[in-house]
Amino acid sequence: MNEREPGTVEEITGKYVHVDVNGTTQRVYFEEAGPEDGIPLLCQHTAGCNNQEWRHLLADEEITDEYRVIAYDLPFHGKSVPPTGQEWWEEDYTLTADRFAATIVAIADALELEDPIYMGSSMGGNITLELADWHPDRFRALIGLECGAYSPGFYIDWLDDPHVNTTEVNAYSCWGLMAKQSPEQTRRETMYLYEQGATGVFKGDLYYYSVDHDYREKLGDIDATECPLYVVNGEYDYLTTPEDGKEVAEGVGDGCVSVEIADIGHFPMSENPVLFNAYLKEILADITGERSGRLPEVLTPDDVGVELNRTEARAVRREAEEAE
Amino acid sequence: MTEAELASHEWWEQYKETVNSDPEMQVRGHDRFNENFYVQLDDERFLVAMDDGKVSEVIPNPGLNQEWSFGVEGGRGAWEEFVQEVPPAFNHEIIASNYRTQVKGESGHLQLTGNNRQIFQNLRPFQRALDLMRHTHNNGGNL
Repeated sequence: MNEREPGTVEEITGKYVHVDVNGTTQRVYFEEAGPEDGIPLLCQHTAGCNNQEWRHLLADEEITDEYRVIAYDLPFHGKSVPPTGQEWWEEDYTLTADRFAATIVAIADALELEDPIYMGSSMGGNITLELADWHPDRFRALIGLECGAYSPGFYIDWLDDPHVNTTEVNAYSCWGLMAKQSPEQTRRETMYLYEQGATGVFKGDLYYYSVDHDYREKLGDIDATECPLYVVNGEYDYLTTPEDGKEVAEGVGDGCVSVEIADIGHFPMSENPVLFNAYLKEILADITGERSGRLPEVLTPDDVGVELNRTEARAVRREAEEAE
Repeated sequence: MTEAELASHEWWEQYKETVNSDPEMQVRGHDRFNENFYVQLDDERFLVAMDDGKVSEVIPNPGLNQEWSFGVEGGRGAWEEFVQEVPPAFNHEIIASNYRTQVKGESGHLQLTGNNRQIFQNLRPFQRALDLMRHTHNNGGNL
């Protein structure tokens, strides 16, 4: 996808914004595309990765025609290096719910975003529950991709261990989080992005994801009538399943809807951007009121007119059979 | 699609050929993958002996004379799902299966056994070796 003529310059721009997070100045890198007065769509990457996961959304002209898509690197990730003025190398990087939510709100404030839609996946999906609970007045809507009330078991010591190749292991411990029917090129790209994380950052993020985030007893504290909450989970996500998404929606009640997205996994925007962007258009249309009727419990490729690449595998097989 | 039954002698011969001609097993140092592992379907166990990223032999019912570092166990039904061209969710990759078994306490999935350090030291080529079971079963394709 996104094969363009040589010489094509894409409309995406990259900038830095200085952000005050709990008294510390962070120099945050972000990329954006779309009209300045478009509806801001603020995009958070997954644990241990960076804003490149949103590269195909930023290049989707149907979406950037209407939305100002902004994808940032959380501090310590991608081009948002650790803060100057702190001796950060003397302690392990550890992300907490407080620090994570405060950073997201501070970025929205620093960019002076008016009524932005927030969207994040994995740890970026889970944090929609804290944002919905603590900052419902700051956002127009929250989209929690691969969101669950509790996602234990992924704070794993081997992901920051001198005896293993953490670059590779951090990536390939996530390989099975994607659906096998997502295109191999984009699945491989997703792993390539994962291999770019700094030592200890993935594990530090997973402290939030698998330890500090636990909303099992607190879903009732969220009033999603103030700020609509969409919990959107992929069929192949074994960490936060569509069933987990339904439990969140049931626990939160009014204003929260869960949608299962079929044939896709835990990195939907990155592993299968064509299918995800088509699914996302349905969610965004629901937020803006352009969609008639309720969102279905399950969105499928047929619903959004996307053909999966199974045919590619079958073509390879046929070719091999014919050669015999 | 190979006509051989999963884990039959003919199937393993085809698997050996698939792994040994796989270019990915020869890049980024994976030609150093030397940890033997076993695959267990119900009560049938097969030792896959690795030699510099290639399968040197597959030994049914390994005993005291053999050594291995880790393995994957599951019912034949779970393995039949795993090798499908489009496997169902949660039996589509070993870490996925293992998570649903160990963290969520579900049955019907595959489970890792053995030395965890050696598993993570060799995760990528080990995972590739397992994915190549699907390639063997479906005569290639990118799934």
